[in-house]
Amino acid sequence: MKYLSLLSSLVLVVSACQPDASVSSTEAVRIRWARDPETLDPLTQPNQNATDASYLLHLGLLQVNYQTNEYAPALAQSLPGVQVLGDSLTQLDYHLRPTAAWDNGRPVLATDVAFTLKLMHCPGLPNESAREQFGFIRQLRADPADPRHFTLVCRGQANDYQITSGDFPVLPEDILDPAHTLRDFPLSVLQDWLPKRPPAPAVAALVRRYLAAGLAKHPGHLPGCGPYRLAAWEPNRRLLFQRKAHWWADALRPVPFVLQARPRQLDYLIIPDDAAAVLALRRQEVDVYPHVPARVFERLRASEAARSELAFYTSPSYDVLTVGFNTQHAALRDKYTRQALSRLFDPVGLLAATQLGEGRRTVGLLSPTSQFYNDSLPLLTYAPTQAQSLLRLAGWQRQANGQWRQPNNPQPLALALRYRADEATFATAALQFKAAAEQLSIQVTLLPMEAAMLGQALQAGDFDLYIRLVKGNPFGLNFESMLHSRAIGSGNITGFGRPDTDHLLEAIAAEGNILRRRVLLRRFQALLRDEMPILPLFFLNNHLIVNRGLRHVVISSLKPGYAATALFWAAADSTGSHSPATP
Amino acid sequence: MTHRRRPLAYWLALSWLGLIIVAGLLAPWLPLPYPAATPDLLHISTPPSALHYLGTDPLGRDVLAGLVAGARQLVRLSLPAVGLATALGAAAGGAAGFWGNSRLRLPLAVLPWLLGLAWWQLALPTRPGLTLAFGVGALALTLGSLPRHRPGGRAGGRTFALPLDGLVLGATAMLGAVPRLILLAALAAGPPLSAPLLLGLLALVAWPETARLVRAQMLRVRVLPFLEAARASGLPGWRVWLRHAMPHACQPLYAFAPLTLAGLVGLENTLAFLGIGQSPDVVSWGSQLTTVRQDPAAWWVALGPGLALFCTLLALQQLGRSLATPITSYPKNT
Repeated sequence: MKYLSLLSSLVLVVSACQPDASVSSTEAVRIRWARDPETLDPLTQPNQNATDASYLLHLGLLQVNYQTNEYAPALAQSLPGVQVLGDSLTQLDYHLRPTAAWDNGRPVLATDVAFTLKLMHCPGLPNESAREQFGFIRQLRADPADPRHFTLVCRGQANDYQITSGDFPVLPEDILDPAHTLRDFPLSVLQDWLPKRPPAPAVAALVRRYLAAGLAKHPGHLPGCGPYRLAAWEPNRRLLFQRKAHWWADALRPVPFVLQARPRQLDYLIIPDDAAAVLALRRQEVDVYPHVPARVFERLRASEAARSELAFYTSPSYDVLTVGFNTQHAALRDKYTRQALSRLFDPVGLLAATQLGEGRRTVGLLSPTSQFYNDSLPLLTYAPTQAQSLLRLAGWQRQANGQWRQPNNPQPLALALRYRADEATFATAALQFKAAAEQLSIQVTLLPMEAAMLGQALQAGDFDLYIRLVKGNPFGLNFESMLHSRAIGSGNITGFGRPDTDHLLEAIAAEGNILRRRVLLRRFQALLRDEMPILPLFFLNNHLIVNRGLRHVVISSLKPGYAATALFWAAADSTGSHSPATP
Repeated sequence: MTHRRRPLAYWLALSWLGLIIVAGLLAPWLPLPYPAATPDLLHISTPPSALHYLGTDPLGRDVLAGLVAGARQLVRLSLPAVGLATALGAAAGGAAGFWGNSRLRLPLAVLPWLLGLAWWQLALPTRPGLTLAFGVGALALTLGSLPRHRPGGRAGGRTFALPLDGLVLGATAMLGAVPRLILLAALAAGPPLSAPLLLGLLALVAWPETARLVRAQMLRVRVLPFLEAARASGLPGWRVWLRHAMPHACQPLYAFAPLTLAGLVGLENTLAFLGIGQSPDVVSWGSQLTTVRQDPAAWWVALGPGLALFCTLLALQQLGRSLATPITSYPKNT
């Protein structure tokens, strides 16, 4: 008896020590994230993870269908009808889905959309990026006869308004503004509110209430209309999203792809280090590993043991490796200096070294597959001799000790280069640049940083150069949030901006005629090459590795590169007990 | 003729350390085909070949050049740090053991300035009123403790006993309470440090052990008759301490310094492995080892720096052990 009890205790201990595979493999899909989203405030999305998380909690009018790589209706019943007004306005006609509802059961109405658009322009909220992105929507005309029908009046006649106009998370008016105080303020009034002018008392009160809700860290304070709720958030460790037991879109037949939400739990594990992420993947502690570095991907794919457990996917992406110059710093104010430094990067060698040659070199921020790509511009190459000539053109003179000085500047040319520490591609590019620069006696200080701290340093302008990924897409050709002088201090990190370039960016964003837009975009790419606030090096391929037990893996060129909500476990599918939203 | 000889391991250790030091000193002039921090973009993570004799790491850096750069780091950083730590530790421990808590008497006028220095070093808050009161007090103490002519004809002033032993023991206990690596990681976190600052930090975490050792030795030495004789002959205290006591109290450091160096080499490479304190373009054995995580199959990246680190630590341990053993204890060779 004594031995029996000892044995049973031992069995209990051993079983307790083993990972509970049954729960983890049928309930949750565990996805590796390289960084914490930092904030889940739906108005501000400082990184892709924050965007992904926001769209689990809230929905937009339209969302990307990763199967077709096109925008598809989410809260909207269909893509909006487009009507051109005169020569400068566009009208978009939206109908909301009749079944769309908030967690508290209240229907999603046009008033919620109007409120969200106004919230994006309330002074004092962290909405700088959204303000830039959706500033073209000037008015929402509600239909008095149908609370789910409304029309957006947009400035300009760009073709992509039809899809980009609906890509923002819609928020509930009744919770954030129960007294409907914002209804008294037309959208255009908030948009044109002068920055120095104090906000109206009602707006200030709303802003205070919004900030007091602490949505950045406690998104549960705001009911959403998305399929998941945040069940747990351990900063820099994990975010667990729990599928809602009863979600309005479950009643749709068939469930559109963008409204499919199959995993009962989405468990995002924050693992900054790639080696640790690979280890977790091999130990089956992670099921989905997106954005795998090319070398790691190839090494795992070459392993027979890994191939038996994991599935490998590759697609082209719109992520472009870029170098940014701080144009506000005296040494980098001259475009020839920036051009010279850009010649010290070796895109050919870096593409071969870090991406095994996969990916596409580019002349600008547009993908070479884009119809607007300026193929008449030559691709930049490593050219230190040319760099020296350009430095002289910028007024730099080489001293006897080899250093470069400008006659009116006592400081020699010395640069601080910031990049994310946990990414080998950035480190390789930084070391290559430093070695090339030091051959010309330009001192470069490398400052690798953790992702969140890097973001803060870049926002504060505390850099000379940076290396980072810019995540783009083929739809939005609006670069105002990145390069417009109005966005300096928010999305425009390089501090670049002139009246003529601002005008060009505005014209691109509003242009509806494809041919004219092509001319404008080609001019924009040539201008970017000449002014060189940003040096795009190459577009990367998107590598994804998933556990072979997962089904319905949809990989896409669009960020984040896969559809997390479409995944389900093969075992759970066979029992039929797993997915509440079976298509 | 018979004589005693050190064992072969001692000479092997000495040879290896000599090789490392020579390589470190001559690093800038060695005919290496590749700079240590420059990536060869066409050869990322390649095994040893005729092009890269010891291969390249996952960032494309030549492993051989990295080994030499690591040796240079040892010469530039670890060796001076151990010298600094030994000197600081010996001075502090030797003084604490020699003067104890009551034998070193300083003029009372020094006290406010010592307190002020401590206040400033600890960056304690200052208030105008407080500073004024402190200044007035310091001035009064300075004037009050000036030497006066006494009726007996002896000039003298008020003094106080500096609790040197307590201060040193307190400082060593405070620094010893936190593991060295954690303390150093906390101090060196943030932007990369300059070489002198990192050197200073390494010395700061390494001196307490030397101080404790020398203090213990000094407690034994200070009561020896020859020191009593030196004092009786009228030599000033500092001279007795420096010329007569310290050489004897520091005897164990010949054996202990290599062990301190081993500790600092390990610490410096651990910091480099963690990517703390130094710029990413400073190549050391530790920073090379950390790149293995990016490509675990690249055994050559681990082998070179790992072996260099292992042999260096082993050699230092052997050297320390050999120096701790008196040569008379070795068997005679004929």
